[in-house]
Amino acid sequence: MNNRIKELRARHDLSQLELARLAGVRRETIVFLEKGKYNPSLRLAHDIAKHFGLPIEEVFLFDDK
Amino acid sequence: MKKAIITFIVSALVLASLALWALKGHFSGNIGEIVMAGTALVLVGFAVYVGVSRLRSHQRREPGEDELSRKVTIKASSLSYYVSIYLWLFVMYISDKTPLAAHTLIGAGILGMAVVFLLSWLGVKALGLKHE
Repeated sequence: MNNRIKELRARHDLSQLELARLAGVRRETIVFLEKGKYNPSLRLAHDIAKHFGLPIEEVFLFDDK
Repeated sequence: MKKAIITFIVSALVLASLALWALKGHFSGNIGEIVMAGTALVLVGFAVYVGVSRLRSHQRREPGEDELSRKVTIKASSLSYYVSIYLWLFVMYISDKTPLAAHTLIGAGILGMAVVFLLSWLGVKALGLKHE
């Protein structure tokens, strides 16, 4: 699973810490997500997508394989 | 915040115990004791690092724990439990082949478990949790 968090964060002019606060997680979690080292829970994926005003599938890109 | 304070208190108690052990004259300075004391200091350093990072999170108004940190701890704990079984098997195997006293072997085993947890935690952090 890939994600567009870094791109969307830059577009919304949000720092990692600001996004972390909005999603109620630590900054480290955003770092791990952006590096593709962590697949979030459905709850966190939903919260992050909600802050960008997008559906989950437009923020987190699922590999069909 | 509370967990960070508990971490600092436990670290201080471990350091005080080490100092007491050395001051009471039990520290003879052989290589085994130096390794054990050094390992205990490394583990205290790790605990202090965790405590400081929790305090920093508190200052940045982040949660002290979140789903990632909880999953890292759970994964590192399960991994270290699995490895520790083999560590104790090894300790049992060498127990009648070494002149070390039983309490020294048990102490080394407990210290070994803590080291295995530290290594598991570092490994999980480095590799990430992509498939959890």
